[in-house]
Amino acid sequence: MTAAPAMENPRRAPKWITGALLVAGIILLVVLPLVIGSTNFVRLLFLTLLWVTTSIAWNLLGGFAGQVSFGFAVFYGVGAYTTALAINGKINPFLAFVMGAVAAAIISVLLGLPTFRLRGPYFAIATIGISEAVRVVMTNVGFTGGASGYRILEARPFEQFEHYFTALALAIIALVVSAKIADAKFGLGLKAIRQDEDAAADVGVNPFTNKLAVHAIAAALTGAAGGVFARYAAFIHPNGVFGFQTGVHILLMPVIGGIATVWGPVVGGFVFGIVEEEIVASFPQIHLLLYGSLLILIIMFEPGGILGGVREVIRRYRGRKH
Amino acid sequence: MDANINGSILKVEGLTRYFGGLAAVKDVSFEVRRLQIFGIIGPNGAGKTTLFSMIAGALIPSEGKIVALGQETTGKPSHRLVKIGIARTHQIVRPFRALTVLENVQIGVYFGRKHTNNAATARDSALEVLRSVGIDNLAYQPASILSVGQQKRLEIARALATQPELLLCDEICGGLTHSETGAMLQLLRKIRDNGTTVMYVEHDVKAITSVCDRIMVLNYGRRLAEGTPEEIQRDPAVIEAYLGTRATGGKQ
Repeated sequence: MTAAPAMENPRRAPKWITGALLVAGIILLVVLPLVIGSTNFVRLLFLTLLWVTTSIAWNLLGGFAGQVSFGFAVFYGVGAYTTALAINGKINPFLAFVMGAVAAAIISVLLGLPTFRLRGPYFAIATIGISEAVRVVMTNVGFTGGASGYRILEARPFEQFEHYFTALALAIIALVVSAKIADAKFGLGLKAIRQDEDAAADVGVNPFTNKLAVHAIAAALTGAAGGVFARYAAFIHPNGVFGFQTGVHILLMPVIGGIATVWGPVVGGFVFGIVEEEIVASFPQIHLLLYGSLLILIIMFEPGGILGGVREVIRRYRGRKH
Repeated sequence: MDANINGSILKVEGLTRYFGGLAAVKDVSFEVRRLQIFGIIGPNGAGKTTLFSMIAGALIPSEGKIVALGQETTGKPSHRLVKIGIARTHQIVRPFRALTVLENVQIGVYFGRKHTNNAATARDSALEVLRSVGIDNLAYQPASILSVGQQKRLEIARALATQPELLLCDEICGGLTHSETGAMLQLLRKIRDNGTTVMYVEHDVKAITSVCDRIMVLNYGRRLAEGTPEEIQRDPAVIEAYLGTRATGGKQ
């Protein structure tokens, strides 16, 4: 038995609108760099796309499943170092990205096994501790150069557009994965876990295994982004890719854009990626303070982020018309 | 009725749970037969919720054994019990408020006993369950806007969506009006008639005696009596537990 179309869920935007937006966005992201072409512009867009990817990835665990993690720098760093080691070992860079993703996913399971026994703020605190512990270990590990960093030596010449389109492809993969999960059984189970873990278990959802699974997917995407970054930068160091700041940035973007939605993290990633350059350049001493203030303002006044704010405006506008 | 149909679906043996030194439930044994509505009553603090929680997999027993649907379920988490065919409702409703009513129920179909990955199947079965409990008109509303009575129905719908053979209901009539209570009890009978055994915990004596086939009375964590509603209402020990002993002219 199927319900009449009039009974469709009225809260969601029609599919063709999101589809058209997606196609237009991708075309723009393909054409714009080719037209403008300035190295600096392409670099900015490249980094932004990596942020979009990690933002989407974080939202899978932090948004849909409601498990707030400050530790995503671990996956970014593991992906970056694994890729770097692989490329220096003469492995094809694209295979190296996959290796970075797999390594990050494996690490995520190892970290999830103990930490997913904790709930809410206790889980969040544990991820802070783990992230810092991993950073400290990496600054003291010899074979990757410790705190002084690790250099990637690639035999091929540097081709900026190749890096850019790799990042674009990865962001699109992340978005497709996120959209598929949001619509599927898996996503519904995660949303149930976010709202009431015990009630979710009472209707048959295994909170522990579902959290482990989404953690692994999120870690793989984040690790791949770290790998793509490492190859581009050709030099990585623990205080960068494993930095606590990296983990905070990855968390901040989906919160800015709109948590637990498919498009919120995309919006947040773009806004953050583009604005961050400016903020760091103009206010190098207080840019972290600005992020902190922004986070407090969003949580106090618009927990739905930018996307939530826009939806609210549309809702009010429609309400006035009728 | 056929003895096979009315075989045991739940058997509890010597179940005990301590909180610190205090035994909230002490050495309770009973058996629920298929297609019964089995009631558990008792005054406040008798251990009803503790007993219920242990059977529903929310609390690990200190001692004792639970056998349900032919297998030992002692200490198994609730998501495993659902796969076996045991679902529960909550005394204080716990809907997934940010999801629609339909999505709430769909989760039960997706992850229930006959779990499926097919979205269309999950949707159709969920709508069917909503129709059977009488809130299908609210399918696309967010669960947060439902009234208490509707939320209690959603609790039942969500549990039924997992297609349980044994439904554990915790005080589903609490906070309902007189007519809502009547409708809810009617719904319980319908669920039983459709082939699901019901174990029903309640402190409202009137509600439970009108709907149950068999009743067990708990007092101070122990089994006080068990029988048909008529037997229970006549039992002197039960009357004493609920009303106290007759005053004896001021003498102790």
